[in-house]
Amino acid sequence: MKKGFSLFKLCSATLLGTVFLSAALFAAEETAPGVKGMSDEEFTPTKEVLNVKYVQMDKPYHMDVESLKGAFKDAGAVKVVLQKQDKAFPNGGGSVAGAEVKAIHDGITIYFQITWSDPTKNARTIAVQEFRDAAALMFPLGAVEITPAEHFSPRMGDREKPTNLWHWKADWEADLLVKGELEDVEVQYPNMHDDFNFNPYSAYYHRELITSVEVLSGGRAANNLLSQPGRGRTVEDLNAEGFGTLTTQDHQDVNGCSHYEDGVWTVIMYRSLITQDPHDVQFVPGGNAFFNMAVWNGGEQDRNGQKNISTQWHPATLEKVAWQ
Amino acid sequence: MTLVHNWHLGRRMEYPYFESRPKRQFAAIFNINRCIACQTCTMACKSAWTYNKGQEHMWWNNVETKPYGGYPQSWDVKTLKLIDNGENTWYTDEKDEKLSPYGVYEGDTIFEAASKKNINQWAVGYIPEDKEWRSPNFGEDVAKSNKPDEYSSLPEHSRWFFYIQRLCNHCTYPGCLAACPRKAIYKRKEDGIVLIDQKRCRGYRKCVEQCPYKKPMYRGLTRVSEKCIACYPRVEGKDPLTKGRPMETRCMAACVGQIRLQGFLDDNPKNPVTWLIRHDKLALPLYPQFGTEPNIYYIPPRWAPRAYLRQMFGPGVDEAIDKFMVPSRERLAVMSLFRMAQSIIFEYKIEEGPKVFETTIHGKKFEMYNDTVIGFGEDGQEIVRTTIEEPIHIRDPKHYNSI
Repeated sequence: MKKGFSLFKLCSATLLGTVFLSAALFAAEETAPGVKGMSDEEFTPTKEVLNVKYVQMDKPYHMDVESLKGAFKDAGAVKVVLQKQDKAFPNGGGSVAGAEVKAIHDGITIYFQITWSDPTKNARTIAVQEFRDAAALMFPLGAVEITPAEHFSPRMGDREKPTNLWHWKADWEADLLVKGELEDVEVQYPNMHDDFNFNPYSAYYHRELITSVEVLSGGRAANNLLSQPGRGRTVEDLNAEGFGTLTTQDHQDVNGCSHYEDGVWTVIMYRSLITQDPHDVQFVPGGNAFFNMAVWNGGEQDRNGQKNISTQWHPATLEKVAWQ
Repeated sequence: MTLVHNWHLGRRMEYPYFESRPKRQFAAIFNINRCIACQTCTMACKSAWTYNKGQEHMWWNNVETKPYGGYPQSWDVKTLKLIDNGENTWYTDEKDEKLSPYGVYEGDTIFEAASKKNINQWAVGYIPEDKEWRSPNFGEDVAKSNKPDEYSSLPEHSRWFFYIQRLCNHCTYPGCLAACPRKAIYKRKEDGIVLIDQKRCRGYRKCVEQCPYKKPMYRGLTRVSEKCIACYPRVEGKDPLTKGRPMETRCMAACVGQIRLQGFLDDNPKNPVTWLIRHDKLALPLYPQFGTEPNIYYIPPRWAPRAYLRQMFGPGVDEAIDKFMVPSRERLAVMSLFRMAQSIIFEYKIEEGPKVFETTIHGKKFEMYNDTVIGFGEDGQEIVRTTIEEPIHIRDPKHYNSI
């Protein structure tokens, strides 16, 4: 437990450092501006427990929803009630009422499957008015007890109470399918004109221009994961300890796959049970965990705090590995 | 929300953060009367910062024609509608030189409108769609008929338009900074320049939505937003040309019509920018009623209907135009500094010269003296020296037809 605490400190220092750097001009406030108080109910986990079923399986060659269907067949589902995010500015969401969560593990990897209804598929964010469909799982970092006496905010965590988040993005899935692993602006605007073509396969390849592209692309030069081509994954691994502190991890460990059919998204996020990263949640077969989740409906312009959230932590237990 | 003082509005207003003014504030004055919309500033900016892929729609600096032009289309009309509560008036009977030089605004700012409407957002706003960013020249040079019963009547012409030069206002209370839910936008303490941290930005477009001037722009290629950076390497004196002295931005330095003067708003009354804005009140903020305390100031055009101008620049318009039409001795001298140097002028000095001209303008006596005005840099060194009457150089006859 003592070691766990020091991990919190380490994580907090990194996160807070980033936040204060950006907001250096403004006095730190105890409660973030625009945040309303929370009730005791929100600090009490739900009664229903998600059973993370142990399944003996061979990792499919193609990690997709269809190949994993069989493995999830006997896993029990938990219904998560979702609502509008109404505490921190900007408020928003409310178009998705609920989602179904299932989870399995095979002693090596843990898989979470989220299913929800969304009449519109929004898998591109190139035009200024377009937003992506997305889903996120959140886990408290380290070994924690969650009770009304021991507050651990189900909304992005809190200071000294860091969380690990897995954020699946519909457009990252689309990025994976194109050459260079980033949907380019021509996908949105097929006949567009651009003065400088940085495509190395074009007829007028210009070495100096190609090599200077990073300098000329703020997000890429700053190593923003959202701007990088070739991420090789559909899920972003993040940490947060309160509203506005969401920070991409240096080491990305989570991946995922998805399927959209008849107005229903099925998203699977998976990661090895144990990682080397001190900023990651760790899962032990036979042990307990908590999770919370959110869903973004791009068609309703959901992004950031404008999302459909669950306001309580959900407990989960991992089945022991059955040796044969 | 906290209460902060906004001197444009002459009162305190709601803002998500405490009042925290920079040591000196990046600012500029544009003389609308001289602009010919040649777009040299626009291209200077484009060729420096936004010529890359995914930035095709981005014009951090643009010049649009009023009343019909707008980039993005109708940005100002749409935002004005959002803050309109039917009583967006000014109380101008009492003024305080320092706290309320234009009087007191009695309407709602973008922050107060959001608070009153209870929309649980920091500010009111909207996201212009891609098609609205597409035609920056839409409405260019299109004149407005001035019907007698509309606005106010014009003395000589029945049609009017004018150009407005726009870039990020590097506001004291930026709407974009307030809107960003993850504090990826910051205002620098040393010069008041507002920047988007390209690493922290997650492309939420709350800044695009809630900046009333629509100057943060989303870049589809990198999935994050970008905005005018006030050419901060130049302002920091990193360009070798000025040998470490703060240098004007690309758009300012490129101005062919000499309509621009860049500097810092500070407490020095002999700073040309501070003098023209705070002491002479010749230059006025753009849409002060939005409540962000923008830092690009305009000398309003003489020929457009006053009601329209008052909506755009606040109640100081009539006084500013009167002053512009019959400039005082000091005003004429300070205005001669526009676009005289690439280095930023921090202080001016006037050496008096002889009277060279005298006339009457609109019944007011105007006297012109051929004074010499000197501009000093940050280090106190002389940067520029010019006279009111432009010096005449007569070419040697043998060079008449040579270049």
